[in-house]
Amino acid sequence: MEDLKLQNPNGDSNYNIGKSVPRVDGVMKATGEVKYLPDIEMQGMLYGKILRSKEPHAIIKEIDISQATKLPGVRAVITGKNISTRKYSFIPNLADKEILCIDKVRFIGDEIAAVAADTNEIAENAIRLITVSYESLPAVFDPIEAMDSDRVLVHEGKKTNVAATFTKSFGDIEKGFSESDYIFEDVFETARQSHCCMETRGCIAKYDLSGKVTIWMPTQLQHRSRKQISDATGISTGNIRIINTPIGGAFGSKVVMDTKVPIAIELSKLTNRPIKFTNTREDEFTSSRARYSFKIKLKTGVNKDGRIIAKKAEVIADNGAYCDEGTAVLSFGCAFYTVLYDAKYTSFKSSLVYTNKQPCTAFRGFGNPQMHYAFEAHLDKIAFELGIDPMEIRMINKNKNGNAIASNALITNCTFEQCIQQAAEISDFHNKRISYKEFNKNSSAIKKGIGMAAMLHTGFTTRFFGFNATDTYIKLSENGIISVISPIIELGQGGLTAVTQIVAEGIGADVKDIRIINNDSDIIPYDLGVYGSRHTFICGNAALDAAIKLKEQLLDTASQMLNCQRKDINLKNGYVVYRNNPNAQCLSIEEICDYQAFSCGRLFSAVGKYVDELAPEGAKPENYSINIPTYSFGCQVVEVEVNEKTGNIKVLKVYAVIDSGRTLNPCLAEGQMEGAIVQGLGLALKEELIINNGKVANPSFTDYKVLHAEDVPEIEVKFIESYCDEGPYGIKGIGESGLVPTAGAIANAVFNASGLLMKELPITSEKILRAMGKI
Amino acid sequence: MKHNISIRVNSNEYLVEADSNRTLLDVLREDLKFTGVKDGCKAGECGACSVILNGEIVNSCLVLAIEADGADILTIEGLANGDELHPIQKAFVEEGAIQCGFCTPGMIMSAKNLLDKTNNHPTSEEVREAIRGNYCRCTGYKKIEKAIFTAANMLEDNQNGRS
Repeated sequence: MEDLKLQNPNGDSNYNIGKSVPRVDGVMKATGEVKYLPDIEMQGMLYGKILRSKEPHAIIKEIDISQATKLPGVRAVITGKNISTRKYSFIPNLADKEILCIDKVRFIGDEIAAVAADTNEIAENAIRLITVSYESLPAVFDPIEAMDSDRVLVHEGKKTNVAATFTKSFGDIEKGFSESDYIFEDVFETARQSHCCMETRGCIAKYDLSGKVTIWMPTQLQHRSRKQISDATGISTGNIRIINTPIGGAFGSKVVMDTKVPIAIELSKLTNRPIKFTNTREDEFTSSRARYSFKIKLKTGVNKDGRIIAKKAEVIADNGAYCDEGTAVLSFGCAFYTVLYDAKYTSFKSSLVYTNKQPCTAFRGFGNPQMHYAFEAHLDKIAFELGIDPMEIRMINKNKNGNAIASNALITNCTFEQCIQQAAEISDFHNKRISYKEFNKNSSAIKKGIGMAAMLHTGFTTRFFGFNATDTYIKLSENGIISVISPIIELGQGGLTAVTQIVAEGIGADVKDIRIINNDSDIIPYDLGVYGSRHTFICGNAALDAAIKLKEQLLDTASQMLNCQRKDINLKNGYVVYRNNPNAQCLSIEEICDYQAFSCGRLFSAVGKYVDELAPEGAKPENYSINIPTYSFGCQVVEVEVNEKTGNIKVLKVYAVIDSGRTLNPCLAEGQMEGAIVQGLGLALKEELIINNGKVANPSFTDYKVLHAEDVPEIEVKFIESYCDEGPYGIKGIGESGLVPTAGAIANAVFNASGLLMKELPITSEKILRAMGKI
Repeated sequence: MKHNISIRVNSNEYLVEADSNRTLLDVLREDLKFTGVKDGCKAGECGACSVILNGEIVNSCLVLAIEADGADILTIEGLANGDELHPIQKAFVEEGAIQCGFCTPGMIMSAKNLLDKTNNHPTSEEVREAIRGNYCRCTGYKKIEKAIFTAANMLEDNQNGRS
């Protein structure tokens, strides 16, 4: 594994790969010059506001907009009667949402009416002047209750509140249990986690009289958003142009279309003005959708020696009032649950259940952090009961190269074992378990603990859509500037920098000469978007393909100019060099371009592509075992102190070992890991959107606890360098992996410290005291 | 009621007319177009709108515009010297302290205030305390803390005539 392929496809050594190149958008961000959506204004722009339901479940009897319409400065007021009534959803066959509610509201925050006005203040005042008469209906907030009873139907046309199910079984699970020496069962629950992007979400839409609409907004899925907007409004995708504005945080929140977009389009149509919507922070908490909360029932059969024979999960996910990414989130959680630890029989059954609450959406890791928390905590309990060390039980059941026994999923370049070993080594896991046990004997209130959780995640998305491909165009200018037209989306992860490094390496160019054009849906190649740790992998591959083609063109011309053999020269850091004297720069890319432009009159360009050939097959239900193109591996160890008087948990240190292929940019990769781990600490210990009778009770940073700098413990990240044959220069995606095992490792550290198996996230001090019987 | 307010922002004088309920954040962003000052919550919770007012770090969303009459304000836009980045900005770029960038201006202003107050010799506790009121959802804060120390060293070297 150490003999990393330190050669690029042309057989030359790498200059830009594995280097902490500073992010290419860094200066614009450090100076405050970059314009996010809230910073953009347009001539004649009007401001939009939405009237949202105050009832969790009610019939709309009447909406009176007459007073609002009369307010000076109000330019348009719309209700469900003035807008497309077609239902839509991210997954079209689950379409269940109207842009503006017509007859019925289904959660507190459901969109009822909208206003466009000269100022934000006038728009807010106009909203207050709209009156709605409701006929309240009984509501349902608990997914278990909603699933078991049809007393309240969130969608009256459906026979049940179960919006969808997702089930996969590999082998006869009951037979597996009968072959096991012991059976263990536990139920775990996870909470709704809010994305808390620092930029509040918004959009600007401008409809023009030629029938085209342009939308400026931050999005993770530029072309899929266009499709969703088309589905909701009936405007053809050919008439929808999306300009992606710089993204002030996403984490999955901008995968699915924002309902404000079709509303803004309609208001623009009516006023012929650009319409701007921006969420308040309270809107972000109450209406912009959070991580799906799971109730996870686990049943696991093991042998005396610790070998897992059969593992079964039954999951109920709280959908909220409308479908969004739920089935994808469950499928994703299942993909890893059924493969993690190589059991002979695995089974995953899940239901997505409607409730009268704000809908949920994608969040970094999809359903995998939820499933990992539950199984990793459950596994430590099993190990404890069997008297086996936590590391040992993971080693006994570790994933290996080759096909997983139950699902037949193919695992390659597997470093699961090394990840666990390294995590134990850098954290001094075994010695600390012994020394903390001694410490705890002599300590009355403070108990120390150390826990681990291993991880299996995707290294490159899923084959969910049945296609997984993209292009990249590169063109050179007469001045040697390299323009890369790529669908790469920058949401803070460093995608622009990654593609820049890959193109620089592929051509042999200088990073500073590369410009990326990535924000206009009319210009960039079609792509599914940035989610599932896929973008650097896929956009990097397509960019590398184009770069290699372009390099050939440059060297052909250079060999004419130098009157030499093409095979004797190469490009390095923007210059042609002779292979036998690579340090002497004899011709710059700029000089080649200048020659080409003013001798031929036309310049160099290339189209690169990446096609995941197995995607059409991998999307078929019967081929579920190849749904994940490649896996990444990891293990985290956490040390905690539990104060048994106050219930307070103090995290002392997080050790994270990760193998996501070769590391393209160590500084950016560490940043992805650290940021994800801190979100994982939040998920584990603090973050929960509390909903009482359908109303969000903590819609502010004062009441919803995001970790601040003083809350964050020391974090040590260690990369295991491997080489993914399918990735550009051997890389895999790293965006999500960091938070997948964190909550499980925390739960296990708490278990080790206090003997309490904490089955509900977040693990608050109150829950600790309750588990100890103190309150 | 409207008030005439005179403020000095990044060494330039401005005269603005503002209603009594408007905040310094509103005036900086909407009237004077200093959009590097970010609006993250309008409640003093997130720190994205941090600016330095008469030498003290403030959440500009919690300061009424009329309270800032006559004040000297430094925003992120006033930090670089022409196209020469301020050492804190340089350190943030080089150390990977920036991801989505939305918290960055406020974070850098808090760092600037800290380094001014500690004469470029902050302790780790002081660094964490200084940025306690600035939320960052991307980085996990570690690289921000590192960048502040790197900047402190750069500023110290500059003061001592080394570069």
